[in-house]
Amino acid sequence: MRNSYIESQKAEHNRKVLAVLPIFYPKEILTAMNILAVEVWGPPGPPISADVGRIQTYVCPVVRNAFAFFEGGGADKVDGILFPHTCDSIQGLSGLVADFSSWKKEVFNFVHPKGEYRASTAKYLKKEFTDLAKNLERLTGKPLEIEALKDAITLHQKIEALQGKIAENRPCIDMSDMELYTVLRQGEYLWPEDYLAKLKEIEEKIESAPVQKGIPIIVSGIVPEPMSIFEKLTEAGAYVIADDYAALGRRLIKHDEAVNSDPYETMVKRYFSVAPCSTRSANMDLRRDHLLALAKKTGARGLIIHNIKFCEPEMFDAPLIRKHFQDNDISVLYMESELETELSGQTVTRLEAFVEMASSSRSSK
Amino acid sequence: MIKRRVQYELAKRVVGPFITSLDQWKSKQRQKKRKPRASEFGPPLQTIGKLKEIMTKHYLEGRYADGAVPVAWVTSGFPSEILRPFDFHVVYPENHAAVCAARKQVPQISEPIEMQGFSRDLCSYARTDMGNALITNTPVGRLPKPDLLCCCTNICQTVMYWYRWLADYYNVPLILIDTPFIYGAMKDHHIEYISDQLEELMVIAERVSKKHIDREVYTNILNLAGEGCQLWGECLETGQAKPSPWTGFDTFFHIAPIVAIRGTEECNAYYRMLRDELKDRISKGIGGIKNEQYRLLWDNLPMWFNVAEFATMFAEKGFNFVCATYSNAWAEAKDLLTPEDPFGSCAEAYARVYLNRDMKNRLETMKEMATAFDVDGAVLHSDRSCKPYSVGQIDVKRKFAEDLGIKSIVLEADHGDQRLYSKEQGETRLQAFMESFSE
Repeated sequence: MRNSYIESQKAEHNRKVLAVLPIFYPKEILTAMNILAVEVWGPPGPPISADVGRIQTYVCPVVRNAFAFFEGGGADKVDGILFPHTCDSIQGLSGLVADFSSWKKEVFNFVHPKGEYRASTAKYLKKEFTDLAKNLERLTGKPLEIEALKDAITLHQKIEALQGKIAENRPCIDMSDMELYTVLRQGEYLWPEDYLAKLKEIEEKIESAPVQKGIPIIVSGIVPEPMSIFEKLTEAGAYVIADDYAALGRRLIKHDEAVNSDPYETMVKRYFSVAPCSTRSANMDLRRDHLLALAKKTGARGLIIHNIKFCEPEMFDAPLIRKHFQDNDISVLYMESELETELSGQTVTRLEAFVEMASSSRSSK
Repeated sequence: MIKRRVQYELAKRVVGPFITSLDQWKSKQRQKKRKPRASEFGPPLQTIGKLKEIMTKHYLEGRYADGAVPVAWVTSGFPSEILRPFDFHVVYPENHAAVCAARKQVPQISEPIEMQGFSRDLCSYARTDMGNALITNTPVGRLPKPDLLCCCTNICQTVMYWYRWLADYYNVPLILIDTPFIYGAMKDHHIEYISDQLEELMVIAERVSKKHIDREVYTNILNLAGEGCQLWGECLETGQAKPSPWTGFDTFFHIAPIVAIRGTEECNAYYRMLRDELKDRISKGIGGIKNEQYRLLWDNLPMWFNVAEFATMFAEKGFNFVCATYSNAWAEAKDLLTPEDPFGSCAEAYARVYLNRDMKNRLETMKEMATAFDVDGAVLHSDRSCKPYSVGQIDVKRKFAEDLGIKSIVLEADHGDQRLYSKEQGETRLQAFMESFSE
């Protein structure tokens, strides 16, 4: 499906296509330069080539699967790869692909800053944005136009506003989690205008009163794989009322100020307005408090930390978040995924038991 | 405060030197009584006594530092020179974790933190350090509590997550020096970013230490650090001699001063002494092992819990590790720290470290070392606790064979936690690797 979409985007809109690794990258720049971003979160399932053996088994499966995917020809339709500097493993993957692999197309890096907002960080980030835009000229053959960047930011702000509205009104949307997430995750590869149209279809389904009857749960982690977690949650009588997946809720930018005359300045502000993330933040309080506030605001009865095996940033945060939630009488379930295609029976049992436990606890409001 | 300061100064000036002298005297007495044993190694380095003295004093001072002087905990790649003008007592938790690992104490020290839900898949240095916060006794007595935490992402991103936990636990400020990873050439805005952060750092360091920085003092310290790196590099270069006057495993221990007290005259004096001794051994034909037949390169951190056993196993078969990428990392800054531009040069030096650069640079560095030290093979330690060092090693092994015709082996283990190393399996593979040289 993605391949046919990529082909049509190239043929009909003369777009270049970049495979993009997790998590944070300036999509506005890509949009402004007529580049389609196709995110690679693994992909899930067994690795598609034996080259997976070139990365140690103690490295996260997103990275191992992605390398097997690139070496196995899975991304041959794209014109290049963009590696955000998310973690040590993605950093290593970038080096492998650029220096040691059979990949002969362009490789780009976006080395975003770590830690919270500081004067130095903001100044650096702006330069890193402009540097990336300059480098992407290698792909497009022409420079980024400032007006196009302003338009792209405005387009992404519309998307974010709708995403925010959908998140706020989740109890009033008559869609299962599986149905909802299937659409939301299309943002990982659709052209922004196409994605906006999909979100508008969801917006039309917002009812005036809550229609969701299950136990409200907040989810956190890197990426919701396997997606069947949502089916199992529904079967157990729960639904996702708030999302902190790095692939989704954690990237929701809450910055609706008008675009500055210098759009890069606006982008810097946007970058620092996203939710705290284990891969970037140097302050534990920020993340803990953000998640608890989200749970309290939405009335979540439990938190599921759905981590990817060997994801070090998340493994450091998880015990502290768990303790913080438990101190506030909110149940927590920690589970790990290796990008398998289905949840194990054991995990499903744990999910069911967790929902049962959460159902007997009081609301966090 | 005054009492603590007196204790601190006594530990530094009187008790530390006394304990090490006593220790050395006892050691000599034991040696006199002991019958000489057959060994595959050359005579021990005389400077080892001085090394023990320096490090004992450093840790003894540390016991009384909190409450007497401001204490900063730093990562091994942090530009600690900048903290010295503020009179911080600088503690390297990684160094301490290595001591715990060498004593095989990582499992029990990290247990309390694992009980709280922290995975054993996390870096064993981090687990040791976090576990150490929850217990009272470590092999060095105790570490002083920090007033300031300082981490630099030039060695890994893990330090940010780890120090974030420490900052939360100790409730003290955390300084993060973020060094953008260098893909290809280093960019001007990267150096500028790090320089800006160093300036920001000083505001916090001034607030915590209640002292203003004397830039002249800082420049002098930077000079000393540059000289220290140069001297350490000279010591390592002696490994190019045949036979090498020491082993790569020796370098893992003699690295301690350049990590822990870099930027001091004491550090430099030590390396002058070590360099002179190594050169003297070369002139006398004394090797680190007695029968050096094959020369090897070691990649990645040591397995601290197994260094002596490893060294013996290789030495028995005539294999000597004459160089190691890990030890070399602290010699890389030797030409980069310049007094003309103390902040810019510091920024560049700390960004250019081995682990903060791309695969191509890593491979080239290893190939240069392999050629300069004329090695016959390489052992690549695939370290479960250090992903930035380990990812890519399987391809490096292949490139080593293709480009240099050098045999190498990737050995999966861990730098700190012996539970993550399958000893029998590892030794069987290494024996087979060594046998392949005689084919």
